[in-house]
Amino acid sequence: MKYILAILFFGAMVGIYIFLYLMNKKTPLPEGCEDLKVDCSGCHDFGCTNHPAHHLKKEELQ
Amino acid sequence: MENSRLKAFKNGLIKENPVFSLFLGICSTLAITTCVDNAIGMGIAVIIVLTMSNIIISLIRNITPDEIRIPVYIVVIATLVKIIQMLISAYAPSLNTSLGVFIPLIVVNCIILGRAEAFASKNNPMDSAIDGIGMGIGYTLAVLTMSLIREVISTGGFIVSNPFTTEKIFGITFIPEEYCISLFSSPVGAFITFACLAAAVGAYKAYADKKEAEAEKAKEVK
Amino acid sequence: MIAELATLLVTCVLINNVILNQFLGMCPFMGVSKKTSSAVGMGIAVVFVIVVASIVTYGLYYLVLVPLGLEFMDLITFILVIASLVQLTEMFIKKTSPSLYKSLGVYLPLITTNCVVLNVCLANISNGFDFIHMLVYSVGTPLGFALVLYIFSTIRERLELSEVPSAFKGNSIALIVAAIMALAFSGFAGLV
Repeated sequence: MKYILAILFFGAMVGIYIFLYLMNKKTPLPEGCEDLKVDCSGCHDFGCTNHPAHHLKKEELQ
Repeated sequence: MENSRLKAFKNGLIKENPVFSLFLGICSTLAITTCVDNAIGMGIAVIIVLTMSNIIISLIRNITPDEIRIPVYIVVIATLVKIIQMLISAYAPSLNTSLGVFIPLIVVNCIILGRAEAFASKNNPMDSAIDGIGMGIGYTLAVLTMSLIREVISTGGFIVSNPFTTEKIFGITFIPEEYCISLFSSPVGAFITFACLAAAVGAYKAYADKKEAEAEKAKEVK
Repeated sequence: MIAELATLLVTCVLINNVILNQFLGMCPFMGVSKKTSSAVGMGIAVVFVIVVASIVTYGLYYLVLVPLGLEFMDLITFILVIASLVQLTEMFIKKTSPSLYKSLGVYLPLITTNCVVLNVCLANISNGFDFIHMLVYSVGTPLGFALVLYIFSTIRERLELSEVPSAFKGNSIALIVAAIMALAFSGFAGLV
């Protein structure tokens, strides 16, 4: 029982995170902020959504 | 092909060392290098997590939607790290106390997520495993070098002990106690040692690049 | 009680500073410290996210994980909560206040895999803090981070203009500066 709860809880957390990640990605940037990220060429922190890796198109991936 | 793989592996050790050249995973490097024992334990933990995460991410690379691949990688890595943490606290409790919070913090170590995104998401499991081991060894080499320097300067010698039983295996002393600089076991020493090693690697990199450029020029003239 | 809380605050801001004593958050420390303005933005973003993340993870741990006997899920839960919170905050700011987004928007996502945040959440549990102590600890730690980041960025702006041995240019000289700052901060150890 405990482990079923653990898996359910884990699934819910992952679901919430991925949902928010996608929602945030779809929310357009407010006016005047579109080019804020130009300064950041990316350190090595891939967890940061400013990193160019988050914004690659499908074709560029391969 | 074989040759280029070997070259990439060698590059990861010095010229493109993840720690001193790419500045990845500095937090844990600075903190756990007070003694050689910790460095060995941390190095092994990172090699295991890195290799396993590279293999798993490479296996699921075709079924992960591109949009959400980075969140998925974070979840995979967090799960793996928790497993390793539980294993270490069960079988090597002394290592668990000395590394402390830095075992769970492997999750946010830039090396792991960086390799997952830059290499494992584009290559087959075999190559990803080799890349993981190579990068892991590069990290281990870096922490070992740094911990050796710090432990020798601050205590005069170094001790290697069995992580499972805390039994001493090997110990050696170079400097008599009255000449040791205990400052090197404190944060100040960590920053200074790291800066000097990073500068040395940077200088070597500049030298190697220059030599390579000259060799290419000579080839062109011919 | 108040004296004890003040001691805890001074300890985590000055004496046991996250950057100079515990070496956490080195990536933003090296990356975002080139300009004073970005150091201030990053500092505010870190304080905000850590306080919110601490309260949420503390509540989740004691109200959900402990009653269900799922303490072993702590690490996974915390990292997911932090990552979700960052996304939520960013989305909220984008929609409600473009001017705030302009000054903080770039720094928020940087915090997702920031070790300071995860460390504060884990330390709140492993130190067995009650709610008030947890609150003081999770305000003090990021304040220490912001303070050191700000001081460091002012030094670094000057450093740009000075002549440095070529091998030490960039991150290496920054680390030497950090070493000297750590030496200065170790003087605070006698304060408590």
